[in-house]
Amino acid sequence: MVTPMTAQGTQLSPVEVGYLSAGPGRAAETALARLLDAGLVRVSRDGRVSAVHQHGHRGNTPVEARMHKSVQTPVSFNKVVKTAAYSTEMQALHRQLLNDNLMRKARPRAQAWWVFLGAGVLLTVLGFLLPGFFIGAVAFLLIGFWARGSSPVTREGKAVLKNVTASDRVLAVALYGFAGNVASQKVGDLFELSQSVVKMIPLKRKKKSAGSSCGSGCGSSSCGSSSSSCSSSSGSSCSSGSSCGGGGGGS
Amino acid sequence: MAGITDLGVGIGWRSEIDLTVERLPGVDFVEIVAENIHLGNLRGDQRSHLPESVRLLLERGIPVLPHAVSLSLGGADQVDLDRVRHLGEVAEAVGAPMVSDHVCFVRAGGLESGHLMPVPRTKDALDVLVENVKLAQRNLPVPLALENVAALLEWPDGELSEGQFLAELVERTDCWLLVDVANLYANARNIGTDPERFLDEIPLERLAYVHVAGGEQHGDIYHDTHAHAVLPEVLGVLDELCSRVKPPGVLLERDDNYPSDTEIASELAAIRAVVDKHRA
Repeated sequence: MVTPMTAQGTQLSPVEVGYLSAGPGRAAETALARLLDAGLVRVSRDGRVSAVHQHGHRGNTPVEARMHKSVQTPVSFNKVVKTAAYSTEMQALHRQLLNDNLMRKARPRAQAWWVFLGAGVLLTVLGFLLPGFFIGAVAFLLIGFWARGSSPVTREGKAVLKNVTASDRVLAVALYGFAGNVASQKVGDLFELSQSVVKMIPLKRKKKSAGSSCGSGCGSSSCGSSSSSCSSSSGSSCSSGSSCGGGGGGS
Repeated sequence: MAGITDLGVGIGWRSEIDLTVERLPGVDFVEIVAENIHLGNLRGDQRSHLPESVRLLLERGIPVLPHAVSLSLGGADQVDLDRVRHLGEVAEAVGAPMVSDHVCFVRAGGLESGHLMPVPRTKDALDVLVENVKLAQRNLPVPLALENVAALLEWPDGELSEGQFLAELVERTDCWLLVDVANLYANARNIGTDPERFLDEIPLERLAYVHVAGGEQHGDIYHDTHAHAVLPEVLGVLDELCSRVKPPGVLLERDDNYPSDTEIASELAAIRAVVDKHRA
């Protein structure tokens, strides 16, 4: 597995890549992918995840270890992801990404951001007829851009993500989710997961006005549900409203 | 028994490891716990109510044998015919050549024990057991095999050894025997019975198949957990059995703490090695 590195040379785990890519839900999916890849859990036909009992093997990261512990008795696929996305270990991972300057506190997108932006554009046009409108145009455009919110992923975080490719099936989950596609193949198929199992994870809702960060726009079990980390910083694409769900994948 | 000449080596199908069972090499037959199968209203195709994995195994031609845990044939109460009927329906749904349960009771006086309780080995208890077995047989569409259980206690005033008890049960009911070698080992460890004497006393020509399972020692007690690796000593009892008779089938039971597919496959291989040693 090719492990992505930050500009400072810090190695990122696939789970961290998943978080940067699409928030805590995707990170949770990635942790599950890691456990599946390592043969530490198995999934039944009806989508129940259970631990494979091997002495001393619990997963590489705190999120993976927590997930492994949570499936000592079988738990449904979607619940495993949701529980991990909400976990304190995931919140700690988020704090780590903030400390590493790969993420920042996101400014939530105002619901009517486009109204300000539209008004700014209109005033700009009117400014060509009556230059006094330019003052108002600048003000509205500034407010509009501000109200549009900001990505929770920093420039450095985006730079790291840009260099990550789906070089293996775990990173494929980190980047696209189990429900996504890579090289015209369904990512879930790489793990021999049936589509009925993959679809247990609720798909993200694509919503143009992604209210408070991803709280309303990323309605999967991942992003939208993980209040603490999500409201401040879900995935990079979340605040742009284009593709945010950890659960959704398919970017 | 019609249709059962050589089952081979099998594994207990459990929903948690359904894909593992499907993928494992060398699984010749499987056993399903009848109480875990819900067939619905039985209108239309009964197989459509079976778990997808079980249907798939049947399509591959792998025999699926229902194994019951709740008939309580050794109980003082008359066997519950609803439970017998369900077992029979499961047998028909999977086209099984036989079904099985245990020589035990699991309820008494309206209380469920939650365990397979050993039957007192007295003539009176045998009479009760025989009546229940005969009643069950009359209401089952296929032959019934009965399994020896692991016991942590022996009831007082026993008149027969376990082997003698089962031999008389077979003689009076014409039932088949499902010999669990792990239970024989557990009883040897916990209550000092002799597996070889047991094998000497039972009619081996009525052997339907054999169970093998893992367990663990806790203090002075060996627990037949079905959640740990099969001990070499249990395979030793299987070896002893195979030296006397060619078992039609041998099945690995694993009910919890499922290990990796590789580990399960190696346990099956170890069982097969014991069986093949005597066939050679």
